[in-house]
Amino acid sequence: MPVTDAELAALVHSHDIIDIGIRADDARRRRHGARTTFVRVADVPSDLAADVRVPPAAREVRIVGTPPSKAAALERIRAVVSAAGGAAVTGFSLADLEQLAAREQVTLRALLEDMRAAGLELVAEAPIDRLQNPRRSIEQVNIAGLALARLTVHRLESADLAALFHEVTALQEWVAVIRAFAPLPRTINRSVPTTGFDDVKRIALARLLVTNIPSIQVDWSLYGPKLAQVALTVGADDLDAVSAVDDLSEGRRRAPLEEIQRNIRAAGLDPVERDGRFEPIAR
Amino acid sequence: MIVQEISAKVRAGERLDAGDALVLYRSAPTGLLGRLADEVRARKHPGRVVTYIIDRNVNYTNVCVAQCNFCAFYRLVGSPEGYVLGFDELFEKIDETIAVGGVQVLLQGGHNPDLPLAWYEDLFRAVKARYPSFKLHALSPPEVIHLSRLSQLPVPQVLDRLIAAGLDSVPGGGAEILVDRVRRLLHCYGKASADEWLDVMRQAHRAGLRTTATMMYGTVETDEERLEHLLRLRALQDETGGFTAFITWSYQPDHTELAGSEATGVDYLRTLALSRIVLDNFDNLQASWVTQGGKVGQLSLAYGANDMGSVMIEENVVRAAGASYCMDEVEIVRNIEDAGFCAKRRNMHYDVLGDPVFRERDVPRMLELAVARDEGGTSLPQELLNYPARSRSGRRLRVIPN
Ligand code: SF4
Repeated sequence: MPVTDAELAALVHSHDIIDIGIRADDARRRRHGARTTFVRVADVPSDLAADVRVPPAAREVRIVGTPPSKAAALERIRAVVSAAGGAAVTGFSLADLEQLAAREQVTLRALLEDMRAAGLELVAEAPIDRLQNPRRSIEQVNIAGLALARLTVHRLESADLAALFHEVTALQEWVAVIRAFAPLPRTINRSVPTTGFDDVKRIALARLLVTNIPSIQVDWSLYGPKLAQVALTVGADDLDAVSAVDDLSEGRRRAPLEEIQRNIRAAGLDPVERDGRFEPIAR
Repeated sequence: MIVQEISAKVRAGERLDAGDALVLYRSAPTGLLGRLADEVRARKHPGRVVTYIIDRNVNYTNVCVAQCNFCAFYRLVGSPEGYVLGFDELFEKIDETIAVGGVQVLLQGGHNPDLPLAWYEDLFRAVKARYPSFKLHALSPPEVIHLSRLSQLPVPQVLDRLIAAGLDSVPGGGAEILVDRVRRLLHCYGKASADEWLDVMRQAHRAGLRTTATMMYGTVETDEERLEHLLRLRALQDETGGFTAFITWSYQPDHTELAGSEATGVDYLRTLALSRIVLDNFDNLQASWVTQGGKVGQLSLAYGANDMGSVMIEENVVRAAGASYCMDEVEIVRNIEDAGFCAKRRNMHYDVLGDPVFRERDVPRMLELAVARDEGGTSLPQELLNYPARSRSGRRLRVIPN
């Protein structure tokens, strides 16, 4: 059931996160049941000097960082594709690519087409608050034959949530290719971090308001197991950035397969591993 | 259907028995458990006040003979990493605590055979002589039992002597799970059986002290045993009314002999909510941000907690097992207010002391909790030479070189 404007105003200003969470969980279960997807990702720096290491468990290999030039980006994509062993190669922020295209004096579409030809399958993220022209740029991704892995929020810590989510909904109405929306900010202000209430409310409202994007996603590495797991009980259905390194020496933020599955089950949900193309992995 | 009937009981303010509580815990969705716990909290605390205390967790020694297998903090007698704090070090910590508006220390430590009852009495007296209004929230039941065994005095007499020296209240540490099967598996039955732990609290309440109660879950216990723990606390509270608050936290596995994995954040919120519902005769439930982090710590306020615990300044035990979260007063108050509550400072008795200190005067921000001793600091305090040591290594250390 769509949320009315009056309900929306009440929800945005409410401190009753249990109520908001229950409503969001109902909406999530109507759409996905208890199914909870997660993807194990290996990050590879865009810097050509850095090693390309792809652990065998990686289901997505993501090139992170800002490429210095188009040539460097294409070279990096080729190197990563040859090391990826068939895992989907994703990479870059669409906002950075807008700027790179402008610097290189090529169209965004031409840049994206060259990246696709080099082997890139998905643009890793489109930060809605950093894009020059969200509609047009996301369309270019599609036209170039690439997919977009996720719509993200770069900062927008104290943004008007209702306005933000209306903007996201309107964007998806236009482009219709967004698979996942990650509403928690990617950049955390260390001195005044968002609170648990902020995060839960943002996830739950995203689920309730952004009804035309299938997945509401949380970054497991960035937000940590505790908050990410709670997010699954208030509307989120997909966990991004689970480490592909099954190494116990990584300490408490480690994310081996057992740990993620245990957390999803402890939230009363069913874990399903997916790959970077959003396809479930058959076992 | 049955969950709905049990929910109706909770809403009507009826007490749950073990069977009902177990069904609720196992079958109710997390949102419903939270909703019920929040309703119970709101009935007990209708004013939307959430409290916190400024104090300091001081661990006076890490030397311990108990060797609980879930503990990453202790060192064996004679270990080069073993330490005992000196009185002066403690005074310095109290000065720092008072400077940021603190009103008490939570003083707990290992079961060190080389610290006799007289050492504690002298320490407490010295603290009270220097800081007459400063409170000593000290010595969990297993430490009291350890002193009783060491001094060969019955527990009530040990308590009387400690009270005479300045003990103000007893922290509820060392409870773990109050079921002897679990305690044996955790190698903590020897330090205190479930009955012994409860009996120290009974004696403390009879002696006029208020105490807290705790539960460390997520080791080897079953759901039934977790519940039995709560029911035993509830029964003693019916009998004495001496508990001011209940605090639960998850076992922290890093660097422990027991190892394994930590219970999840959702487990914590469900366990907290269950505790609020079952412990109908406890007024106050603390959020354990020190084990859950600030975010889930804050979410606790929606799952039954009415207190953000302590601006603890220093923490050693949980940190040794892998958790190192830090929240100073500014951060605690920000989290309380952001959740829609009114933040008030309190004392151990949960009397409101006032508004946040940092709003009245400048207080330095604290971005990380202090430790008992800087890494590698194991010097022997001078005054220890005044007390007889029991262990061979303790006696050796006390030979004064000349
Ligand atoms: S938990 Fe306490 S009693 Fe047990 S080993 Fe650690 S310090 Fe000693």
